[in-house]
Amino acid sequence: MPNASIADTLRSDSEALGVDAVHGLRSRPSAIRLPLIWHRENSMNDPAFWDRLQFAFTITYHYLFPQLTMGLAPMLVYWKWRAFRTGDESYIRAARFWAKIFGLTFAVGVVTGIPMEFQFGTNWASFSRYSGNLIGQTLAMEGMFAFFMESALVGALVWGEKRLGPRSHLAAAIGVALGSWLSGYFILVTNAFMQHPTGYAVASDGRLHLASMASYLGNPWAFAMFAHNQMAALVTGGFVVASVGAWYALRGEHPGQARLYLRSGVTVGLFASILVAFPTGDIQAKMVATHQAPALAAMEGRFHSGTYAEINLIGQPDVRERRLDNPIRIPGLLSFLAFGHVQSDVRGLDDFPEDVWPTNIEILYYAFHIMAGLGTVFVVLMLAGSVQLWRGLLDKSRVLLWLLLCAFPFPFIANTAGWTAAELGRQPWLIYGLFRTEQGVSATVNSGSVVFTLIGFVGLYFVVGLLYFSLFSRELKHGPEEVSHD
Amino acid sequence: MIEMSYGILVFMLTAFMVLEGWDFGAGLIHFVVGRNESDRGVVIRAIGPLWIWHEVWLVAFGGMTFVAFPAVLASAFAGFYLALFLLLWCLILRGIAVEARGLISDPLWREAWDFAFATSNLLLAVLIGVALGNVIRGEPLDAHGDFTLSFFTDFGVHGQVGILDWYTVSIGIFILVLFAAHGASYLTWKTESTVHERSERLARCLWPIVLLLLLGATIETAIVRPDLFTGMIHRPLAWLALAGVAGGGLAALFGQWRRRELTAFLGSCTLISSLMTAGAVGVFPVMLHSTVEPENSVTAYNSATDIHGLRSMLIWWPFAFVLAVGYVAFIYRYYHGKVKAGANSQGY
Repeated sequence: MPNASIADTLRSDSEALGVDAVHGLRSRPSAIRLPLIWHRENSMNDPAFWDRLQFAFTITYHYLFPQLTMGLAPMLVYWKWRAFRTGDESYIRAARFWAKIFGLTFAVGVVTGIPMEFQFGTNWASFSRYSGNLIGQTLAMEGMFAFFMESALVGALVWGEKRLGPRSHLAAAIGVALGSWLSGYFILVTNAFMQHPTGYAVASDGRLHLASMASYLGNPWAFAMFAHNQMAALVTGGFVVASVGAWYALRGEHPGQARLYLRSGVTVGLFASILVAFPTGDIQAKMVATHQAPALAAMEGRFHSGTYAEINLIGQPDVRERRLDNPIRIPGLLSFLAFGHVQSDVRGLDDFPEDVWPTNIEILYYAFHIMAGLGTVFVVLMLAGSVQLWRGLLDKSRVLLWLLLCAFPFPFIANTAGWTAAELGRQPWLIYGLFRTEQGVSATVNSGSVVFTLIGFVGLYFVVGLLYFSLFSRELKHGPEEVSHD
Repeated sequence: MIEMSYGILVFMLTAFMVLEGWDFGAGLIHFVVGRNESDRGVVIRAIGPLWIWHEVWLVAFGGMTFVAFPAVLASAFAGFYLALFLLLWCLILRGIAVEARGLISDPLWREAWDFAFATSNLLLAVLIGVALGNVIRGEPLDAHGDFTLSFFTDFGVHGQVGILDWYTVSIGIFILVLFAAHGASYLTWKTESTVHERSERLARCLWPIVLLLLLGATIETAIVRPDLFTGMIHRPLAWLALAGVAGGGLAALFGQWRRRELTAFLGSCTLISSLMTAGAVGVFPVMLHSTVEPENSVTAYNSATDIHGLRSMLIWWPFAFVLAVGYVAFIYRYYHGKVKAGANSQGY
């Protein structure tokens, strides 16, 4: 379970910040110059523990939904466009069916998304004060440019087909798709600033000021991350559509629709699975290698520097002994992937002071490996699917259909693992190299309040999840409706 | 430039209060005006496909506060921690209720979500009123501009105050009744047959109460924050806003009695927006007023973003605003006119 793993992350993370709990070597270095807020010493020794757990839980849960809507949106536009051009009923049916799923997912994405914005002020007030001049810009832009667009058009997309007519309805679909991707871009610029700050200046009062809007919005990290992330969202979209197609094909229901979903899903899935690894994932990894060297070392479980750096396919990091147990290695590959030459020197964690080590190396290592491993499996599965599709045999290959059906949770896991790797790799910084995570929490909010709201979210989101699953399965059972000619 | 940013924020919050105000109001009274499931369906469809767009004004207001006055966002959000999450959960519940309701056509399912919808709207209206009351009364800000508010202390309005006291609770009740009347005027204008008739009767009862409560709230405010009114005297915009309050209130009251549905509804919109403007003009430049020590107050001037950031924001905001209104103009062409009963049982 991704959520449980994040909880574990933060727990061990808090131990790591303590004096000598699990990792004997990871005592808190005395060289930290920045003032720490120690008012929450009892919260498992990490002043930000509950705030981090709440943010991790709410963002992980939230992002299960936008990745699906961002992945479905381009396919929905494609079906709407085909229906508009050809008048083909199977595209009309597909667009109607998936617009309902989209609307349901979008609604949950909206309601679980609002708490994310709130938490900047409620739980991370010091961070907001410090950097609001910059990150406020993109969060406000998201509201003004993307949310208004999506919120005005999504109701029309889901329920307004009859009223709007084909042309306006297609326009609404395009608007919603554009809005959802734009939303993603603004959020990723915000996150990219935290990963790799650009366009800022430190003012006399110690806070960050906007120095250049162009270099803030044009952060190279944001472009790389956006490309990688949107491809990952398309992987989710493609797999879910293919999985529903496989479900109908295996049951022998809605054969025409099943074939269409399989064709669209597998095609999108194949291209997105390849693009998510190369070039987008590759570019992202090179940026991490250049700008977040300790994060790359931790992701690969690399404790010692050296040339001909290896990729570890499997193995368990032992942080106390600073080694990887039971590794299976490909020598030189990490050097090649990170810097372009097999003999390049890739620095290990030994090269860095411990106070800039990511705060939970184990989870970071596994999150990265789960993402990369699943990414490889996705390419293989979708290649097999495409071959059968090309031969016209996909809807008869029961084994492959079963695999596609059961594959739908894994893109969600891979996306979650990828984000876990990105966010844990950023630790111990809230803004890389500028501002540490424990400096960012609200000084006036006590952990009792945070635990209370966290419990509230767990309860509320449990209900939301139940509701989503029951309504989703209901739509699935109901299936795509026939086009009526009245 | 700081004044302009403040103006934009006030405008956005006012837009939220007016637009989402009628959705809240309609949700508040939908058991009163809709005695059966299909009538309540009419109310939901009258709120229409645009309630999310209305709610986005609040989210965007938060985002704009973040960029223009980050220090205000930081102190206020942390200070109102529990109240804000309560507000958030009500917003979530309300969103789920209105969306989930339409998906299954079953009387029990719909009744359950109708109940959740009414309850969350009730809580939201009171919470928003209490929040506005808190902004006017002030918070116990310390020298760093930080504060923590418990839900209540001694129910007094000075020194170490809580979220709930006699003043904020009465403002909460005022806003509750105001939204209910606003919603009733909206439904009178937007619906026909039984829902229309019941809404009209309700609006006629509610508007005199609103105006009485408004009088009470004004007197209370003069007691709690006398400086607010002295601030208004020197600002012509405040006079205009006060005229709007009077005009809007009368239009809402008499328009309802003379069956001028649109006049009454527009009067109601004018009343709410003028009240918000008058309040905002009166408190300017103080955004968070300290009940402990006036020097600790957070003002628009001591909390604003640097000049470059503000300038960038003021450049992109108008484009975003025009676009935001443009989408709705595009959609609204298809949704104007009265909502018919039973035309479409699913969704809007």
